[in-house]
Amino acid sequence: MRVIFKIWRQESAASKGELRSYEIDGLTEDMSFLEALDHLNEQLVLKGEEVIAYEYDCREGICGQCGVFINGRAHGPHDNMTTCQLHMRSFKDGDTIVVEPWRATSFPIIKDLVVDRSAFDRIIEQGAFISAKTGTAPEANAIPIPKTIADAAMDAAACIGCGACVATCKNSSAALFTAAKINHLNKLPQGKAEQHQRTKEMTWQMNEEGFGSCTFTGACEVECPEGISITNIAEMNARYLKSKVFG
Amino acid sequence: MALNPLLFRKTLVAATGLFLCIFLVVHLSANCILLLPEDIARKLYNSYSFTLRESPLIKVVAYLLYLSIIVHVVYALLVTIRNRKAKPNKYMVNHDNENSSWASKNMGVLGSLILIFIIIHLANFWARIKLGLGEQVNMDIDGYLDVYSVTYALFQNIWFVLFYTLMSIPLAFHLFHGLKSGFKTLGFYHKKGLRILAKVSLIYALIMGVGFGIIPLVVYFK
Repeated sequence: MRVIFKIWRQESAASKGELRSYEIDGLTEDMSFLEALDHLNEQLVLKGEEVIAYEYDCREGICGQCGVFINGRAHGPHDNMTTCQLHMRSFKDGDTIVVEPWRATSFPIIKDLVVDRSAFDRIIEQGAFISAKTGTAPEANAIPIPKTIADAAMDAAACIGCGACVATCKNSSAALFTAAKINHLNKLPQGKAEQHQRTKEMTWQMNEEGFGSCTFTGACEVECPEGISITNIAEMNARYLKSKVFG
Repeated sequence: MALNPLLFRKTLVAATGLFLCIFLVVHLSANCILLLPEDIARKLYNSYSFTLRESPLIKVVAYLLYLSIIVHVVYALLVTIRNRKAKPNKYMVNHDNENSSWASKNMGVLGSLILIFIIIHLANFWARIKLGLGEQVNMDIDGYLDVYSVTYALFQNIWFVLFYTLMSIPLAFHLFHGLKSGFKTLGFYHKKGLRILAKVSLIYALIMGVGFGIIPLVVYFK
């Protein structure tokens, strides 16, 4: 299988980037997208050229590191999928594949396809935890939690912080990420005690980091590898208003 | 902690937008009088218009309406400026039509077209009838200002007919996204409710678009 990669190359945050073409042969349909990029990098090493910088870790769809924009979609042409779970069988022989880094003011480019997503970490630091010391793991059913609530909290907790929501959003809004992290804990009895403070401080940090407002285009929930529903953002809005009244 | 501009500004845009949605229902309902035969329509329309101008309650609502339009426009502009700053560099290739609707991505453009329409619409009617600017409006046989004739005369001009009718298209798209999005911004997050709301928004947008679009044509061909 032969494809032409057009990949964004940028030396550093300050330098100007550009799309560069790389024709590559010897790929198979069973290769993952990241393996195809590995294959390209091996060729670049043999030619003595500088390799393309891109991020990955687990390669099994759970770490959220491998975020890149492929052919006009976050994580490639499929809905709700990470880049590492994308395979070359999703492309045709001879295809041109454009690969760009996440684009957002709050996610500055470090090099090539690697961006700095530490803005997410700083949002987390503002309250995506409970401050009570819990000691060792307690008996699982010590606090009864209805199944519907546990399920809804787990659905929100599934967010892997990949940044596809910000990347795909025309406003670079981090609302889906922040909402998932707020709702996950606010739904549970352990998180309820600090719910108003958590909501206010995490949403405030989201503002401080320079993300945009959510205008409910719905792109984020289509690109989210965990399929986190956009209703989480509406719920965060409700929680924000509640925190202003009762917090 | 201060009000969070990311959420506060959107809340104001949504709240004023939903108020304007209610206003449109009243406005279209009243304008349906124009679809009736001329003798009935003139009498009803002029007396209705008189009631609107004289009722103290409607006066309060009218000021609320002016304020809503201004707040909606100003805050939507602030939200848009901030959002553009958050994404200054666009993708070289972006297939965003595969993950979001056209209307949801173009609310600013659609809103700007509607604002242009509102300014022209106010110059056509409000300025003449309420402010007394331009050509004087005559009285009808019952002693009411003949607002019907103002409308009728305007819609004898094919360019105005086309302008009013075509502008109902961006209005419909704007309302389709605005109604359902506004509820979510104000914190309505019931999943089944939101699915129903999406359908209601579509029906509402269609009724408003077709309703406002058809009236100038009906008056023109009357």
